[in-house]
Amino acid sequence: MPDSRKIWEAYVGRELAGLRPILAREGYALDAAQPHLAGERHLHRAVTTESGRKLILLGARADGSRVVIKATSDPESKQELIHERERRAELNKINFAYELFASPRELFFGSRGSYLISVQEFIEQERPYLARPLKEQFAYALGAFKAQEGAHATTYGHRRRIERVFGRLEARDYLRNSDSFKDGIAVALSNDTRPATLIARTAAVLRENTGVLEQYGDFLTHTDFVPHNFRIKDGQIYLLDYSSLRFGNKYEGWARFLNFMALYNPPLTRALEEYVRKNRTQEESAALHAMRLYRLSELIWYYARNLPHTEGDLRRLTEARVAFWADMLEAALEDRELPQERIDAYTELRDALRSEDEKERQKGLH
Amino acid sequence: MRILIATPLYPPEVAPAAAYAKELARRLSARHEVAVLAHAHLPEELPNVRLVAIDKRRPRLARLFAFTRALRREARGAETAIAINGASVELALLPGIAAPFIFSLADKAAQARGGLLARRARAQARALLREVPPPRPEILPLEPYPAEEIAEYEASWSAHLDTIETILNHAR
Repeated sequence: MPDSRKIWEAYVGRELAGLRPILAREGYALDAAQPHLAGERHLHRAVTTESGRKLILLGARADGSRVVIKATSDPESKQELIHERERRAELNKINFAYELFASPRELFFGSRGSYLISVQEFIEQERPYLARPLKEQFAYALGAFKAQEGAHATTYGHRRRIERVFGRLEARDYLRNSDSFKDGIAVALSNDTRPATLIARTAAVLRENTGVLEQYGDFLTHTDFVPHNFRIKDGQIYLLDYSSLRFGNKYEGWARFLNFMALYNPPLTRALEEYVRKNRTQEESAALHAMRLYRLSELIWYYARNLPHTEGDLRRLTEARVAFWADMLEAALEDRELPQERIDAYTELRDALRSEDEKERQKGLH
Repeated sequence: MRILIATPLYPPEVAPAAAYAKELARRLSARHEVAVLAHAHLPEELPNVRLVAIDKRRPRLARLFAFTRALRREARGAETAIAINGASVELALLPGIAAPFIFSLADKAAQARGGLLARRARAQARALLREVPPPRPEILPLEPYPAEEIAEYEASWSAHLDTIETILNHAR
């Protein structure tokens, strides 16, 4: 068992022992199965946020209603929870947003013993996002992106207001990050130069497109906008994760979503790209393309840096992920789609290498 | 004719009034020499349209002052101006400008707020454009092409431009 898994499991055991009686006193009972603690969770840090050590738990109130509990005793993670709550509150207050997301109702937020605990209602959805018809998926995704774009920090006052709570990336930050992915990958994958070469090509494309990255900057963007971070109920999208909201390029969130769908549902990626091409400027299509390359580079770097913490099947799976997303990046650089056979081959290998508890964790997630 | 469009909103801003300002400039530039003065950071370029941007990222007072000065300067070179409603343009119009102007009520939210500046701009204007074309219908990849809606949209722009041309011709 790799060290990161042992450390995670010991951490979970300690935290649950302390938390269970506290939650029981507050009227919450934990489910027997906790999918968000298992599988590859020990490796997980959100791609773009420094998600620290906190537990995400499923449970129920005395009346049987379902809840999601986030809890931590780690000082950094407490700050993250506080920060996420601030973002959620601020988003409802900013006076330059045209539309807003719905949020699950907060039932409890406070300190108990050494823990900071956040409890929110669990949003039951009729079916997972990817089980919906393509047209519905398209409509919900587009609506969510428009809601994000509706908050555009254009003035000096807006920028001052959002800077502290949300943070902001500018074109030069994307270029700097891209260079750091390139340098990091070159070290992490010293025996395989292809990903580093592809990321160097990405960095060159980003430099060529600095103008459009800057031009479409300062939009609210959810940098991890993928189906496990939102739920749909009664026609309304509920955002579950506010920690990944920031102001940056308009297409940063789009890019993450489109890259995700290039694996899970390529027709949706095609439809959203076509929408941008037919309804927005050429520069916006260029910005979307550049951001897709950037987010693919980031994803490859994310998996490459996880490699030392893996062994056995998980090691093979992580290597397969690096190779797959490198293929995806190469296809995107060449403005073509990855063949379905390559996607199918990767999916088959991934499913064969995933542990049983990770498979369980993935059920209904998307 | 040399036409100046003064606007508080311009793409990449996403407000409907921003899209209107850009589309108005694009369409008028087919027959006229058009300049756009906008509160904007890195506005979207248009062929045959001269863009003058007052950076919205500057502190408000500095930006309003710069816009007012730029409006006075640009209006001197224009035969007519089209001012799109919004406090930051209405304030700049307050001291008066050299060119006669048409006041377009494209920003319905700003219009609803009303206020002294808006009333003053309406009183100063040569003509008022109360209605503007709706936003362009979207072409949705998984839906049939919205031919009828696009035709209506084009018709509303034709009518809008006819109204503007009538005002301009009347002034000649």
